Amino acid sequence: MRKKPRFHSIKRIKVRADWSRWTLYNLARLKPPKSYIRTYFQQKWTAKSDTRAYHGEQIREKKWKRLFTRNLPAVVPMSHKYLAQHDGSEQAAGRGGGADSQRKTQVPMMTPYMQMTYWPVERRLDTAIFRALFASSVRQARQFCVHGLVKVNGKKMRFPGYLLNPGDMFQVVPETVMFATGAPKTRSAVARRIAEEKRAARGEAVKAKPAQPAPEVPVLDASKPDPTPARLKKHLQELMADVEGVLATDVKAKDKQKLREFRQTVRRAISLWRIASPDSVSTLDNQFTFLKSALSKFRQESDTPEEAVTLTKEETNKLKEAFEKLKEEADYNSTWNKRDASKPYLTPWRPRDYMSAFAFIPRYLEVNQNVCAAVYLRHPVARPGLAEVPSPFSYETGQLAFNWYLRRR
Amino acid sequence: FSQTSCRQATLRRREFYEWLNGPGASLKQPLLDSTNYLGAYDKYGNLQAKKAEVEAEEPLPPETTSDLRPFPLNKYFRSQPVLSEELREAIYQRVKRDGATVSLASVEFGVSNERVGAVVRLKQMEKEWIAQGKTLAAPYSKAVLAMVPTTPYIDPSLPGNKGKRPINHEPINDLPVHPATRQQLFVPVAESRQFTRADAGKAFDNNLLPADDRIPHPELVQAERELASGLSFEQRRQLAENRFAAEQAKKKKEAQKKEAEEAALRTVPQRRWDYVIQNINAEAVGKSERSYKGVGWRYGFPHEDRKKGQVKIPTKVE
Repeated sequence: MRKKPRFHSIKRIKVRADWSRWTLYNLARLKPPKSYIRTYFQQKWTAKSDTRAYHGEQIREKKWKRLFTRNLPAVVPMSHKYLAQHDGSEQAAGRGGGADSQRKTQVPMMTPYMQMTYWPVERRLDTAIFRALFASSVRQARQFCVHGLVKVNGKKMRFPGYLLNPGDMFQVVPETVMFATGAPKTRSAVARRIAEEKRAARGEAVKAKPAQPAPEVPVLDASKPDPTPARLKKHLQELMADVEGVLATDVKAKDKQKLREFRQTVRRAISLWRIASPDSVSTLDNQFTFLKSALSKFRQESDTPEEAVTLTKEETNKLKEAFEKLKEEADYNSTWNKRDASKPYLTPWRPRDYMSAFAFIPRYLEVNQNVCAAVYLRHPVARPGLAEVPSPFSYETGQLAFNWYLRRR
Repeated sequence: FSQTSCRQATLRRREFYEWLNGPGASLKQPLLDSTNYLGAYDKYGNLQAKKAEVEAEEPLPPETTSDLRPFPLNKYFRSQPVLSEELREAIYQRVKRDGATVSLASVEFGVSNERVGAVVRLKQMEKEWIAQGKTLAAPYSKAVLAMVPTTPYIDPSLPGNKGKRPINHEPINDLPVHPATRQQLFVPVAESRQFTRADAGKAFDNNLLPADDRIPHPELVQAERELASGLSFEQRRQLAENRFAAEQAKKKKEAQKKEAEEAALRTVPQRRWDYVIQNINAEAVGKSERSYKGVGWRYGFPHEDRKKGQVKIPTKVE
């Protein structure tokens, strides 16, 4: 029996409808076809072979031939200003081709009809799920349908070949989407060993650094005198310097150095006062209110107005925002992203490798990522300069494939 | 002869890993606050020359058309912006809280009619989920919206955005290419005749309406004509309000018709299902007995469900 060919081939470059590293490599080294050395039939055959490996690879050839249609949907963008000013007769002015003008009329861009050959495939439910970034390959999306994880207009739809109508809403179970698009768990023994070693190395690095002297809560110290204005001013300046960094830092970024530094500065500023009790400064909210009240009391009690140290209104607002950011980070790390070994995907969730190279959402879908649902707005359409069917091949290849299917065999 | 593949690492495989660890390494992780497509890199894996000069600390310059190309060979496909979270919320509030019609919200935000409807429907579902206490896929949502180009929201309530208009997300007045217009016609016409769009439409097909009626927002053309005709602001506002009132009346009539249809049905509840009884007229089959308005078995036409090429899965839901 004939040996089954490889799905992800590097020898015979096949670009597949998935997010794998072999597909990315083949995509990077894909070249336009050499047309001058082959017959028309040979060119059409190769074009068909290449395009069918990507578009509707899971569909049998006879079924695809029944789906194929030579009427390719297209659209012309209209300007309401032009329609209001002219009624069309100005195009017959002059000698029949429009009035002569000094300005060179702008030639409209070509409508790429030939890249729309496979538009009926984009109508299928499994392909639409893949295009909405809910699955990492069309075959995986197909499996989601078969296993009953997909609903269309609220009803479970177990047919991956269901042709979506304009206005249909389809939805995939969010846990499944997180599994499909997230990084895989380290399952093999080798991978687990490597992860252990990395964790141990990180643990040693933390131990090697000098131990943090102050705990989360500043200790009550009755013997400490009240802080001097100069010292307080210095601490406040440090605080405001850190605030800018905190506001610029992103909560989901891996490097949260600035947030850590800010937390330490806050602790130091609070530890100046001896009226700080452990309960009153344990949470972020309490820390903020404590700082504000302490500063205002200090202002009232100080003898000379020159020595008073205050924060301006703008600075207070910025400080408040920085505290909000810290709270957001704590929330993010606790609720959504805590380590959970029972989940099928790696926690805390992070996107798959190479996902960003394939992360695009075509215009004929409207996706809501929070509920993992999308609406199929209309059929993919060709407009001047843009073909909405995502196809990795050049225009010549698309044209040859279309010409192959024009003649019914 | 043997069909097992070579067991050593072949040249092709070695080259693959070289590429993956070299130029391909920059595509592994997403760039912070930017898209990361193949079209943005050259053969050696460097970001395009302009970007390469930028230091790591500074933010990347805005993306060009080639940067938004996920498939380098297909220059007719590019990654187009998606609505940002704030913009979706704003559209939803405009329609639900302020009570704007879909057409009005569409013109205001520069988003097509179907998309406005879809956004409202999806946001409704999201709010219902939050109310029911279900967990949303928040880390996934944040990650995907960072990897994809988005249209930002210009909040008119902020002081910095006093005179700014919302960024146009997409062209809203798209005319679908009608199959009757695909044929090239040469219609001889007297030279003195003023041959307009409407006449051209009639030449293609008798029932083809002109472009002014087939676009999604014909009221914009009307408003533009009124503006050009030199009417005052008050008069134009009055005309717009008249149009709005006419639209509302039409919608009300349709709703009433639907209600009347449902009132004509009589429901008898049973244990597992309900009987829904509707009065019919046996004469509705028409003279040829094949009218679509008729009810009942059609004699003389065999069942096609055992034929090979028929669609046996559902074609529509609800």
